[in-house]
Amino acid sequence: MNTLPWLILLLPLGAAAFITLFAQGNRKLSAGLSIAAVVAGFVLSLVFVSSNPWEPARESTFTWLAIGGFQVDFGLRFDALSLLMVLVVTGVAGVIHIYSWGYMKDDPGVSRYFACLSLFTFSMLGIVLASNFIELFIFWELVGVSSYLLIGFWFERPAAADAGKKAFLTNRLGDFGFLFGILMVWTIFGSLNFSALQEKLTLNPGILGGAATLIGLLLFCGAVGKSAQFPLHVWLPDAMEGPTPVSALIHAATMVAAGVYMLCRIFFLLNPPSLEVISWIGGFTAVLSAVIALQQDDIKRILAYSTLSQLGYMVMGVGLQDPTQAMFHLTTHAFFKALLFLGAGSVIIAMHHEQDIWKMGALRGKMPVTFWTFLAGTLALSAVWPFSGFFSKDAIIAQALSRQNYPLFVLGITVAGLTSFYMFRLVFVVFFGGEKSAPAGHAQESPQGMLWPLRILAAFSIIGGVIGIETVYGLRFPSGEAQHMLSGWEGVWQRLWMPFEHSPGAASVGLLAAAIGFLAAFALYWKAAADPLPTKLGALSRAMRDRFYFDEIYEALFIRPHDFLAAIAAWFDRWIIAGVAVRGTHGTTELLGRALRLVQTGNLQTHAIIFALGVAFLLYFALR
Amino acid sequence: MNLALLSHEWLVVALGLCLLVADLWTPASARRILGYVAAAGLGAILLYSLIAVRPELQPACGNMYVLDGLALFFKRFFLAAAIIVLLMSAEFFDRLQAGIGEFYALVLFALTGMLFAASANDFALLFVSLELITVTFYVLASFQRTRLNSLEAGVKYLIMGALSTSFTVFGIALVYGISRKLNFNDLAAVAPQFGGNRIFLFGLLLVLVGLGFKIAAFPFQLWAPDVYQGAPSPTTAFLAVGSKAAGFVLLLRVLFVAVPDITAQWSRLLIVISGITILYGNLCAIPQRNIKRLLGYSSIAHAGYMLLGIAASAATIANTTQNPGAGAAAVLYYLGGYLFAVLGAFTVICLALRHVENEDIPALAGLGQRSPLLATTLTLAMVSLAGIPPLAGFFGKFLLFKAALAQGPAHPAYYWLVAAAIAGVVISLWYYFGVVHAVYWSKEAANLSPISISRTMRATLYACVAGMFFIGLCPGPLLDCAAEAVKALRL
Repeated sequence: MNTLPWLILLLPLGAAAFITLFAQGNRKLSAGLSIAAVVAGFVLSLVFVSSNPWEPARESTFTWLAIGGFQVDFGLRFDALSLLMVLVVTGVAGVIHIYSWGYMKDDPGVSRYFACLSLFTFSMLGIVLASNFIELFIFWELVGVSSYLLIGFWFERPAAADAGKKAFLTNRLGDFGFLFGILMVWTIFGSLNFSALQEKLTLNPGILGGAATLIGLLLFCGAVGKSAQFPLHVWLPDAMEGPTPVSALIHAATMVAAGVYMLCRIFFLLNPPSLEVISWIGGFTAVLSAVIALQQDDIKRILAYSTLSQLGYMVMGVGLQDPTQAMFHLTTHAFFKALLFLGAGSVIIAMHHEQDIWKMGALRGKMPVTFWTFLAGTLALSAVWPFSGFFSKDAIIAQALSRQNYPLFVLGITVAGLTSFYMFRLVFVVFFGGEKSAPAGHAQESPQGMLWPLRILAAFSIIGGVIGIETVYGLRFPSGEAQHMLSGWEGVWQRLWMPFEHSPGAASVGLLAAAIGFLAAFALYWKAAADPLPTKLGALSRAMRDRFYFDEIYEALFIRPHDFLAAIAAWFDRWIIAGVAVRGTHGTTELLGRALRLVQTGNLQTHAIIFALGVAFLLYFALR
Repeated sequence: MNLALLSHEWLVVALGLCLLVADLWTPASARRILGYVAAAGLGAILLYSLIAVRPELQPACGNMYVLDGLALFFKRFFLAAAIIVLLMSAEFFDRLQAGIGEFYALVLFALTGMLFAASANDFALLFVSLELITVTFYVLASFQRTRLNSLEAGVKYLIMGALSTSFTVFGIALVYGISRKLNFNDLAAVAPQFGGNRIFLFGLLLVLVGLGFKIAAFPFQLWAPDVYQGAPSPTTAFLAVGSKAAGFVLLLRVLFVAVPDITAQWSRLLIVISGITILYGNLCAIPQRNIKRLLGYSSIAHAGYMLLGIAASAATIANTTQNPGAGAAAVLYYLGGYLFAVLGAFTVICLALRHVENEDIPALAGLGQRSPLLATTLTLAMVSLAGIPPLAGFFGKFLLFKAALAQGPAHPAYYWLVAAAIAGVVISLWYYFGVVHAVYWSKEAANLSPISISRTMRATLYACVAGMFFIGLCPGPLLDCAAEAVKALRL
């Protein structure tokens, strides 16, 4: 039974290696291999899941390194959390791989693209299946590398190259804290295996002592970087410089969710004070990015800020001690956000790589499949009943209410209203109204290879809330109420109405907020030719448009002093280290080398004499 | 006498003789193929060894010869090295004016000497196997008859070798004269009582001189750069890997089977020699312009690193530590990684510098464009020799240093030795990366024509790269083998 998951994990790696080494010139073979690897992974995951129970947690491990008492295992862990996540990752990635072939067909670097994509899939599966912190961290970094490679895929464009660098460096900051957290866990527990850690913590709940909050927050640093939470959120919008399918897969559906996944994986290590901080960071990120999204004009940037905002919800869910619902929202979000990005990609292709929504318009009739699927995604994201997003988002808001955390409840409701507002603004401007530029006039629907992925994702965006995803996650975190659900059609029916029975207040207020957002967007943007908000809001609108000047503030606060320090360090390096220390050592070493070389005359007689002297030296040294 | 135990040796000798006979009937144009035949034959013997031979302690020829885990480890090591060297020689064919058939046969006979050395449990067999290796290498080194460098290398090796042999044989005579024993096990029984006998120790030290010559340890290293540079590349490769490893297996046997009690007193001597060898090799490598000469110095430095492991083991004899075999096992592991890195590098030199008169580093310019495979292999070999993770060289050095540091609390001198070794590693980065720099960034590339590589060579290069990665990433299997093998020693 245990070879199957290894195969699922290693297939994409094999594809990446084969494409890089042997198939660089063959576009179709590269794409075919990459797609086949991930689709096969999805099928095999289905087989594995259907023939094995979700719980209890199991591991398949071999020892990677054993030096004395120090041992590093390389293992895969199967439980409800990882298995369902493997299905989501391979499923969504499979659909996006197929879409990519349509989107990237004519790019000269298509082989490189698919190799990187496969590398990413491998690394992401590694994060999901990792059974210990070291493994998790290795794959965590591999994901960072593949994200870097894909953001900077069109590296000849300076903006893309810079965005790649920015993403990588910003993540580094978070990972620095994460690594510290891991090292502290290792110092205290002497183990890094998740099951072993949990066991030790259950046996001795006080083992962490005063370091508990610090460890929780350090580990959270990793999630702040990877899931782009405030204050490290600045890299994600810039990451949209990558190809659109990459934005869909990595910067919306899977990689950025890895931070949330990691928090759920190590949930048992987080104590109440750190959870409090986590919930507030999540809530703040949600509202901050929703506000910024209101005034963005680039179709992908709107979606990027929306991703940030939804990730904020998930992190808030974890902070509110409900990892089940955080994972539930992560999963539904993967469906509808991937769908929205792929829809945006379809629009961008039709518009010949124009991304400004104010140059589009009236695309509804010309691109019917894209429109209807995009609308489904929008309704799901805006949390309209009975679309999937409603159930998962409502669960998090209801959790805030039931824990009597009213500020976060209000925050959640506000974000729900803002979400619905900026998404319908997007829909109205892009698909309705008049054509705002010439390319919008002769836009055409995308080919079928790109439309089928949209249809599949749209289906899951619609039904994702009622097919029992949260019940499966609930098996891992049994504190929630999700496990009392029925199975089959009755379960679907029960889930459809559950939010209104379980927490009618949260559900109705949430729906109301979405409706208000929709009406406001309708009033302002229905058939609007230009954005009316800047004139109404003035400076505030400009601040939103300029992302509240975070990049500029960071530039002044961190990058300038950093550059200054770097200049000093460079001076020190050039003159003191390189000049005095290295040149000095270099000079002496080289002189020594040349002097020793004189011994080596090549003259046989000299050699023989030195040999004999050597023998004498040896004898003297040993026998004196 | 159990002749079946000597199956490795019989088979290789038979293969060599068959090759010589077959050479008579093979037309000159097809003789090159014989190299592949010989390599395939060795492959079969290696396969047989892996499948059929078990490493239980079995003595033969009146306990002169033993087949234990250590012997078997080294026999397989030598077989693997010889296979690659033969494939390399077949590629080198056009540069040997005559007698490629004899070249193959001589490689096999040198291999026989190494196989015997791996099993030597007696000073007589030690001497015979040592001479079988050395005498064969005199011819192998001077095989390019029309090249002055090659002849010079042969003559230098001959004279210095004869000098060192005279010391060895004198030493054996003294040891026998005092103790009346030649067998290592018998000697171990009586050696403690001669611990204070200076003539006995004198004899043992002279034997060590001969072995120090083989592994090119300070102060007996002077021959190495000249011979490495002048000899044909396949010979140099075999010298660097096979001959050196043979020196190490004999050194291990003498120090840790024959006279462990005396070795325990010599840990300081070993520390000094190891430290000086490391620094000497690395420092001298810096100003070199010839890649084979550079690798000659680098091989001196590597002998120093491995001596560090032996020095660490020497200290474990006197005081009982948790893991006494760690140092010796690390040496074996290190040799495993060293094999792939050095043979990979020499294969690249063979292929890339085919039409160049002398193998100067600037001639490698533009290799990155001419053949990415060769450039990658050479880079990885250099990186592995320099000891950078995740390749084999890193983990080998890590284990050696770890074994030495474990002795630090008892003998602070080990801390100094490790410090010297780390300084050596840092120095070595410089010249190894000088080679990498020449491959990719040198501006003076004159010739940018692509290099065609035959399928067997391609496979050989892949095998070397895979070996470096596998040993570095999955150290477990080889480490287990090494730990098993050193159980034969009295540690």
